[in-house]
Amino acid sequence: MALKLQRRAFLQTAMAIVAAASSGVMRAAAAGNDAVTIGWPNDIPSWDPNQRFTPDAQPIFKAVFDQPLDQDPQLNLVAHLIKRWSLAPDALSMAVELRDDVKFHNGDKMSTGDFRYTFFERIKSGTKLDTANSWQKVQDIVIESPTRAVMKFDSPAPTAPQWMAFLGSYLVPKRYIETAGLDTFRSKPIGTGPYKLVEYELNSRIVLERNDDYWGPKPKIARVTIQIIKDPSARVAAIQSGQVDCTVNVPVREVARFGKESGFAAELNPITRVILLQVRNDLAFADENVRLAAHHAIDKAALSKAFYGDAAVPLSVVATPGTPGYLPDFVFKYDPELARQYLARSNYGPGKPVAIGFATTNGQFPSDYDIARAIVAMWKKVGIDANLEVIEYAKYFELNRATKLPEATLYSWDNATGDPEIFAGYLLNPKMPFSAWKGMEVGQKVIDLRGVADYDRRIAGYRDLNRFAVESGATIPLLQSVLTVVRKQNLTYAKYANGWLLPQSMQWT
Amino acid sequence: MGGPISRSLRSARVLVALGLILGIGFCAAFAASIAPRDPAEQNLVATLLPPAWVTGGDPAFPFGTDSLGRCILSRLIYGARTAMTVAVFASLGAMIIGSILAHITGYFGGAIDWIIGRAVDVWMSFPPVILSLILMVGLGTGLDKVILAIVLVDWTRFCRVLRSEVLLVTGRDYVAAARLLGFTHWQTLLREVLPATLPLLITLLSLEMAIAVVVEAILSFVGLGVRADQPAWGQMIADARQYVYQSPWNLLLPIFAIFLTVTAFNLLGDGLRRTLDVRLAQSAR
Amino acid sequence: MFATVLKLVGRRVLAAIPILLVVSALLFCVLRLLPVDPAAMSLPPTATVAEVEAKRREMGLDQPLPQQFLIWLRDVLHGDFGRSIHLNRQTGSLVGATLPATIELALFAMALAALLGIGGGLLMFHARNTVFEAIADLGSILLLSIPEFLWGLILLFVFGVTLQVLPFTGRLSPGLPQPHITGFLLLDALLRGRFDIFLSAWQHLILPAVALALAFSPAIMRVLRSSLFDVYHEDYIEQARMRGLSERRILLVHALKNAVLPTLTLAGVQFGFLFSGTLLVEVIYSYPGLGNLMVDAVRNADLPLIQAVGLTYCVVVLVINTAVDSLYVVLNPKLRVR
Repeated sequence: MALKLQRRAFLQTAMAIVAAASSGVMRAAAAGNDAVTIGWPNDIPSWDPNQRFTPDAQPIFKAVFDQPLDQDPQLNLVAHLIKRWSLAPDALSMAVELRDDVKFHNGDKMSTGDFRYTFFERIKSGTKLDTANSWQKVQDIVIESPTRAVMKFDSPAPTAPQWMAFLGSYLVPKRYIETAGLDTFRSKPIGTGPYKLVEYELNSRIVLERNDDYWGPKPKIARVTIQIIKDPSARVAAIQSGQVDCTVNVPVREVARFGKESGFAAELNPITRVILLQVRNDLAFADENVRLAAHHAIDKAALSKAFYGDAAVPLSVVATPGTPGYLPDFVFKYDPELARQYLARSNYGPGKPVAIGFATTNGQFPSDYDIARAIVAMWKKVGIDANLEVIEYAKYFELNRATKLPEATLYSWDNATGDPEIFAGYLLNPKMPFSAWKGMEVGQKVIDLRGVADYDRRIAGYRDLNRFAVESGATIPLLQSVLTVVRKQNLTYAKYANGWLLPQSMQWT
Repeated sequence: MGGPISRSLRSARVLVALGLILGIGFCAAFAASIAPRDPAEQNLVATLLPPAWVTGGDPAFPFGTDSLGRCILSRLIYGARTAMTVAVFASLGAMIIGSILAHITGYFGGAIDWIIGRAVDVWMSFPPVILSLILMVGLGTGLDKVILAIVLVDWTRFCRVLRSEVLLVTGRDYVAAARLLGFTHWQTLLREVLPATLPLLITLLSLEMAIAVVVEAILSFVGLGVRADQPAWGQMIADARQYVYQSPWNLLLPIFAIFLTVTAFNLLGDGLRRTLDVRLAQSAR
Repeated sequence: MFATVLKLVGRRVLAAIPILLVVSALLFCVLRLLPVDPAAMSLPPTATVAEVEAKRREMGLDQPLPQQFLIWLRDVLHGDFGRSIHLNRQTGSLVGATLPATIELALFAMALAALLGIGGGLLMFHARNTVFEAIADLGSILLLSIPEFLWGLILLFVFGVTLQVLPFTGRLSPGLPQPHITGFLLLDALLRGRFDIFLSAWQHLILPAVALALAFSPAIMRVLRSSLFDVYHEDYIEQARMRGLSERRILLVHALKNAVLPTLTLAGVQFGFLFSGTLLVEVIYSYPGLGNLMVDAVRNADLPLIQAVGLTYCVVVLVINTAVDSLYVVLNPKLRVR
């Protein structure tokens, strides 16, 4: 009977599937006491930590490399590779003293030579690095001894210490890169960090092993596997099935669901990341009435409730609560009626809407696309007709450079330091590629503040700037972002206010 | 063509398929009257509601809501409009270009046949999904671009399949007879060749509509399809994937809609092929 | 026979070269339609307009299109397929890292599709003239109407999310190292003697492969059934019956042997489609193959990578078609040259 042939084939396949499914290998995963598997949304851009600034990659870089200064979970600067530092009162130089007990993973001793190489020589050599921008003020680094050096800047650099703990500022090995070459360094990176890289599959997985010669506190977890899972629903499935022990950036509703399931813990951690609209000062937004109307028309509390379970704090300035630049008493109201009045002054209204362009990413941060679409609907009600376009994150800079951005772009800005310069000082600086706003009433204030060396004067200046920028419609802050974390109940980690999820801070209880 | 039409209409498949297509087409054409709500209307306090028959559901939203609180049923109905528009225009476009070229090359042969044949070869050596993706990247998003991309990719299918049929028909005696009687090339083509290839053409058209619906869904799924403010089944699926644990219905319903539409067109194509083929075999011209 | 196959392959390769040239030229042109500036994209955000212009000159983007194409061609002949803007790696190495994954998936899926297709076709034929015929026929049309991307989603939902019995991300469970020998995980695992890797790879392949197989087997089923119908009209079937052979033997031994040829051709054509179908399935299952690379490239407007991956798909499909035609010649004595 033909049936037999086909039945046999079916049975074999079915048995194989059942055997595979019930083998239990899938469920076993890495539940050991000294190993952890993390589901991470994005791969690193490159193993050269100075090359590309990507906030999502920082926790991974911090496992393999060290920064000269570090931050504690409350974001205060603490000594790390640098034991002592002192910024001159005029902020034109900074003296540092490094530790003398630090070794790279290949045994080379770290010294000021590596410091000078990372923050000066590499940058001047012309290699395409993003650190060339953050450290462009460095005129020279004078080496006084293997542990002491003085950085010299060509203009005041009041946030130099903060930048030592920020994007891309990781110490790289001078001798290794110069002898083995940059390509080798990128495929077999060597750092001073608490973990060594033992395996790397592009877009797939990163495997780290504890560095037993680490100069600092030894991590509790000996082996860390970072599984790159780009799709949020796949990340949810991975933690649900036990394939990973911990994951981030899952949809907010999943956090609520996992919170109720036994064996799991789920958190919505507010972090120093701002969700805002980057706006232009020309085209349809040349009219201040339109800009202010656009801001008043947005119900930020509704956005927080619908997409972040009410955990995202609505913001009226481009700074997060707890940071020096935040203004707790300043509130920019949600008032659609006021919005309509502003529009009416320019002869616009629901019957005669003003047309603007609006760009957003989709999947760059949780609910980005949803927020954008919700805002489009809110604007429609007051008389703003927004044409929504989805762009890739990388395209933002290209469009900005060519001045082809639409009037408004939904943007997420991470500031792991909390310092106001790295909020408004970058987001509204017309000389930087992040700002769509090129107007100089705000722009000049920003540029001037970057040269103020006195800390208190600087902070006061930023607080004024933050208020002025919002009142003149140069920026539309929306919400403080939250980091969604789902983990196995008995896996703990240190909660950083900037959202860092560091493998070296994890342990099984 | 009374015979084949009445025969087709007696085929169960064709009837069922036509019924389904008419139903979906009705939804598409009269979406504004049928849909309970505006598909773009957001309700931020009523997001991700389950269908009305599940606990927690709201009768105001029969099939539930999506992550922005929009009515799923309304979006499905308006999505039918997008799908049918793409299906009809894209397949007609591909058919017109493909069949014109097929008839010309099959009938005249020679250098033109060779050139167009090689062009078709080159075109078809490229996997269609990849080609449409790349075209959409180059053209930009939007309903018209989707239609254009599908036409540009699929005309070759019509061309190649119809050409063999045209060759077959051209070789028949009655075509030669027509020429001998003094008909010009064009008259021969229109009066003798085209009616003979018409059954295959119609079958292919129906199948092409099925393909067009799927391609549109794929492109919308990847984010390179119609614009964000237009309801499309593929976009609904892409949105629903993030919330599949909370509201599986948001995923299953558009999947079912696509399945139903594609089945209808495939069934129609298959039914037509059977009835019209029989006629060809029986005709003794 | 060998001579025929060689001639065929030779002719195909020769014919393939102009096709590939034209395809890459077309790709080149279409990609230049993109409102994207590759020079700007490969520089950090703070680059000035002057630096972008310099980069454009360096990349040859200020030259006329045909000249750019020739430069690209020259590089290709030297083995340089361009550098991915976004990932900052040679596209050749990126394709090399991901192609085996997709081929492995496609082969596994094709094997399943063939199994299902032949089995289903035999079953459908066996059910002829019974009440099951209409049901089976209808069933196969329904199956045909579910494209692979819907199957992928349905299977993920049923087996991954609801029943939670199979994994649906990646190629291997985390914690298992990837043995880098051929890039084909199943093979590499066996070569290393690691049964746990083999099992994990197998589990991760099941859902995407089954999704593809379910999408592409109905066509095979239907073609086998209709070729069996054709074959059964031949004389030798009646003769075999008169010789007293059982129906089963006639079907499985004599009829199948002759009906398999057109089925094989279709299966070969289907393989081409299946291979391009892997793209969506890979996206749905986060499977690190060529498809995911392509979608990333398209989303990032990474021109060199789009070009390289697009061309790779083309080449693979051409190779598959040539192989299928050669197989056809091998199996069909009538096509051989004396």
